[in-house]
Amino acid sequence: MQPASVVERCRTIGGGVSRWLAVAAALLVGRLATATEPAADPAFFTERVLPILEARCFECHSHGAAIEGGLALDSAGGWRQGGDSGPAIVPGRPDESLLVRAVRHLDPAVTMPPTGRLPDAEIATLVAWITAGAPDPRGGDSPAPRGAVDVAGGRAHWAFQPVADPTPPPVADGAWPLDDVDRFILARLEGAGLRPAADADGHAWLRRVSFDLTGLPPSPAEIAAFVADTSPLARARVVDRLLASRAFAERQARRWLDLTGYADQMGTSNDVFAEHAWRYRDWVIGAFDADLPYDSFVRAQIAGDLLPAAGPEERAAGITATGFLVLGDVEIVAVDKHKLDLDLVDQQVTKVGTAFLGMTLGCVRCHDHKFDPVGLEDYYGIAGTFASSRSVHKIPVGVWSKVNEVELPESDRQRAERLLRAEEHAERTADLKRQRERLDEQRRALDGRIEKAVEREAARGGEPAAEEDKPSVLLKGERDRIASEIGRLDRDITHAEFFAPRVPRAFAVSDAPAPADMAIRIRGNHRAPGRVVPRGVLRVACQGEPPTMPPDASGRRELAEWIADARNPLTARVAVNRIWQQLFGAGIVRSVDNFGTRGEAPTHPELLDRLSTDFVRDGWSVKRLVRRLALSRSYAMASAPPVAADPADRLLARMPRRRLDAEAIRDAVLAVSGRLVESRGGPALPLEIVENAGGLTDTVNPPSFRFARFRREQEFVRTLYLPIIRSAPQPGPARLREVFDFTPPATFAGTRSQTVVPTQALFLLNDPFMKARAADLARLVLEARPDRDGRLAALWIRVLGRPITAEEAADAGALLDSVSAGSADEPAAWAELCHALLASNEFLITL
Amino acid sequence: MPPLSPSPRRDFLRTTSCGFGALALHQLAAAATDPAAARLPGEPRATRVIFLFMQGGPSQPDLFDPKELIRRRHGAPVTPPVDTTVETIGIDRYLALAPIAPLAPRGQSGIVISDLLPWTARIADDICLLRGMVADNNQHAPATLQFHTGSTTDVRPSMGSWISYGLGTENADLPGFVTIHPDNDVRTYGAGFLPARHQGLRLVVPAGAAPPIDNLVDPAARPEVQRARIDMVQRQNRRLLAAVGGDDLMEGMIESMETAFRMQTTAPGFVDLSGESKATLEAYGIGGRETDRNGRACLLARRLSEAGVRFVQVTMGGWDHHGNIRGALPASCRGSDQPAAALVLDLKARGLLDDTLVVWSGEFGRTPWSQDLSGTAPIDQHGREHQPEGFCTWLAGGGVRAGFCFGETDDFGWKPVAGRVHLHDLHATILHQLGIDHTRLTWRHAGRDFRLTDVHGRIVREILA
Repeated sequence: MQPASVVERCRTIGGGVSRWLAVAAALLVGRLATATEPAADPAFFTERVLPILEARCFECHSHGAAIEGGLALDSAGGWRQGGDSGPAIVPGRPDESLLVRAVRHLDPAVTMPPTGRLPDAEIATLVAWITAGAPDPRGGDSPAPRGAVDVAGGRAHWAFQPVADPTPPPVADGAWPLDDVDRFILARLEGAGLRPAADADGHAWLRRVSFDLTGLPPSPAEIAAFVADTSPLARARVVDRLLASRAFAERQARRWLDLTGYADQMGTSNDVFAEHAWRYRDWVIGAFDADLPYDSFVRAQIAGDLLPAAGPEERAAGITATGFLVLGDVEIVAVDKHKLDLDLVDQQVTKVGTAFLGMTLGCVRCHDHKFDPVGLEDYYGIAGTFASSRSVHKIPVGVWSKVNEVELPESDRQRAERLLRAEEHAERTADLKRQRERLDEQRRALDGRIEKAVEREAARGGEPAAEEDKPSVLLKGERDRIASEIGRLDRDITHAEFFAPRVPRAFAVSDAPAPADMAIRIRGNHRAPGRVVPRGVLRVACQGEPPTMPPDASGRRELAEWIADARNPLTARVAVNRIWQQLFGAGIVRSVDNFGTRGEAPTHPELLDRLSTDFVRDGWSVKRLVRRLALSRSYAMASAPPVAADPADRLLARMPRRRLDAEAIRDAVLAVSGRLVESRGGPALPLEIVENAGGLTDTVNPPSFRFARFRREQEFVRTLYLPIIRSAPQPGPARLREVFDFTPPATFAGTRSQTVVPTQALFLLNDPFMKARAADLARLVLEARPDRDGRLAALWIRVLGRPITAEEAADAGALLDSVSAGSADEPAAWAELCHALLASNEFLITL
Repeated sequence: MPPLSPSPRRDFLRTTSCGFGALALHQLAAAATDPAAARLPGEPRATRVIFLFMQGGPSQPDLFDPKELIRRRHGAPVTPPVDTTVETIGIDRYLALAPIAPLAPRGQSGIVISDLLPWTARIADDICLLRGMVADNNQHAPATLQFHTGSTTDVRPSMGSWISYGLGTENADLPGFVTIHPDNDVRTYGAGFLPARHQGLRLVVPAGAAPPIDNLVDPAARPEVQRARIDMVQRQNRRLLAAVGGDDLMEGMIESMETAFRMQTTAPGFVDLSGESKATLEAYGIGGRETDRNGRACLLARRLSEAGVRFVQVTMGGWDHHGNIRGALPASCRGSDQPAAALVLDLKARGLLDDTLVVWSGEFGRTPWSQDLSGTAPIDQHGREHQPEGFCTWLAGGGVRAGFCFGETDDFGWKPVAGRVHLHDLHATILHQLGIDHTRLTWRHAGRDFRLTDVHGRIVREILA
């Protein structure tokens, strides 16, 4: 580098002219140093080495600025102890000194300074000093503090304390509470001089509980049954019915998927299909449907492949569950595969931290956590278990990788069914090939006829010889038609062979052949390994001894067992809090994904612990917990206006109002218009439609999807079952997700944002989906009843879940009259009225 | 909670009276620091940005940064210091590929620009060419995402959203961030965890009758019927308010319905270019076979910018030349060259260039050696692979040095050896010109303060006028 650019650079470093002078001096001296300067003289350090360190290194490696990678160079102790990679200098041995290796750019992972190589003369000065034994007059008695994480002190934070078993507080109004939950809520309200809101009326409660538990409105028949049921058990019967429905599991599953980054696309580049992703989605639905204990739910998703299984189906379920770890945004096109591996490990650590522990572990890839007692040892301890697992691998297609696939064991019945399907499929494929063969023969025959026709026509000076055969121009047309038909068949055959029934597979992880502890990566740089740390867990959340990691396995199972342990102070609290949020609009800890010191404190800490303790005691049953909350007096409160003394509803003096989320809006519109079609799951991407699959045999890019057509029923299945993609607006029937705050499928987030923007109103007003369903709804209402009053009553019950008022009936009648061109009750006028109700706040909000 | 102001009702009316106003409600665990605290003292050098995004990776060895070594070795192998541990395809021989067209110094400044960009050559003395640009990823999706959000993965606010958040609105009837013909990836114009009103409004310059915004027109109902329906909706909504008492959510939804109704009549006016003179239309290449689409988009960008939109982006695709770059690159240049240059000249003529920062860039550049995915094509049918370091970006206006070339790559044109500008540095510099301290424009999300520049970013003072 030329001296002139040194000047330029030093100015940009911010040292000013005096700093520049120091460097210029060092430069000058450096040249001399390569000759015979007494480098062992302490003055050599002060006058020649220190200015280099100050100008070149202190910006990132000193107490006055930053201590990157744990290395401080502003004291002798600093470089003796070194940073994450160990001591920076070995006195007398420059070639072994990391500092020298870094400034010489010997290792591409650590090249210092990051802004560009030092002038040779400066490097020579540093080498001469180290060769002379690196005398550092600044003293070496007080090494720079490592800024170690205070794990023991960190346990004082409420979330790391053991879950307590508190008794409910006394309340003045003993008649109000139905459950201990209500006593905790009421005690705080009374303490603040507040009263709980009156009970919601039955219609509002039924609509609320139906949406919260299933994401669907109550049907007119369900409303009628509830109104007619005068028994004290009426509400319990409703809740039990909802919990037993598949819709409950579907609703829970979608909420869980928000925490996983789930999509039917691998990565974000080139629309690469994740053709097995749906198996994980269906596993989650099945888990909630069967009320799989939450601790088992946790274990399966981290280490389901390593757990004992009773049979092939259970084994397959365990493998499929680990899709949790690989179905986020995996950048399979990354060309640096080492980086890809570590980025994915980072994603896994982050996801496990967010979803199960409510901790922001992702920050710790680069440095000890700035706010929470979580250090590099914790992060790389957990990361080591995932680095010891196989999640992604290079494929022989261009630069691409693919998420790990595992063949699933089949039961005898499943295998027999598959073989039957394979046989039928093979027959259909063979038939396609026979058709192609026949067409090929025809084409060859035509080629011969064309050749002769051309010869004859040439002999006649271009005149067709119609008596012998058709003119060549017509024959060529025939041949082209056949050729294009052959092209279509080729595409169909390629598609049929690609998607032939095979042993089922799932995207899943498996243990790597050589499990090992992992080296810290300095500043998160995948090419800068520091010291190795043993595989482990989050120390600050350990109630007893941390688990021992096995030498011959990844350690995922041990990690899973530790998280699913009843003594883990985070797991049950985080899970209970998420369910509370589903029913009450906000968590007891409002930052549902962050229980760390920067998260919010619980509004009702004893209640959270009471529920967590009972949750574990009840066998980690999600359904029991939901049932208990849904039947509480607190949940039955009316959604009265906000209370001035508690504007953010922290004390829960009323039920907060909530707008339906994207899925619930679309599903509810389908339900009330009579168009909702039940689905049992299965592949979301309609890849069986040939036009939707592309590049199946490409050698540069992996097979990809597009959306030429959807399956007919996809317009009408629950939104949960529609394809989810990352790199484009959500497709076709799923486009509504884009408008109503769907969590982008690369983040892990336990809370949806709720925005009010005019594009939503435009969707409600003008989108063809709304218009079509309004027309369906109008037909339904017109067919159901012969008279206008009856129809209006039925419409209100169906859409708003309550009886119509006289004022509304008059208003609706006036609308029907005003927009009707001909007869007053024409379907088009009713469709306008239905559309109005579907766009109204009362339909879009649960009160 | 984002700051619902002390008098929520009045604040609410103010935010939603604007055409694109919005309320972000109940965003739990999210908190704004005051964006005003990030304002730098003194007058900002720029008040708005127009970003011309050349999607796909324009070839800087052909357009701006030719190398003698490559020209001399055309068709023969070169030995650049590449990292051999990364996966590659079709470039294993490292055959030097000379520029496909002549390049020459232009204007007083002598900035080297290809014959393929004759219009850009005319504004050489108005631009600042950065030749040491660096992104962290060499694949389209992550690099594009990083250019827009600073991050190669994840879901973060786009720079337009940050700027809308940082500067607030200049014109209450317009959004702060408009993106014309954007990339498919919604994250490139998404607000991430910022309030949704900072999200980029996606516009399509209408070709024919298509509306510029989704769902802007009712496909079936007569206007008076639609109005009757909306009136019914609003009567229901008001009855509900009266019955159960008001709150921000329900009132916001009522207001938003009215705003949407008004947008149906006002929004088409934003994209109406009929008031522009024939000379202006011609200058932008509107009506030209290859320049019409981009010309309309650039002219619209000027109009929106002039009207107070803080950040306007125009995406022009078609730069991903893996094969036959000789055949395909000239057409990409023809489609974008005149509209981009016309925009700069038009801004200048109107006195707007001084405080409008124009940014022209791809998400990365291309290799100086050739790529041949077939493995058998002759050299003159080869293309170039992506190259995330040492690519070229130009800036104009907004207090940036005009007629200035900054940065230098090695003899191959592979890595910057001087004037390295990382995307984080570009982001920091853009914010700086807008009078924003990039280290202080933050938003608290999931327990952490996020920035456009994360923990990075150096203001490239060398290029400031």
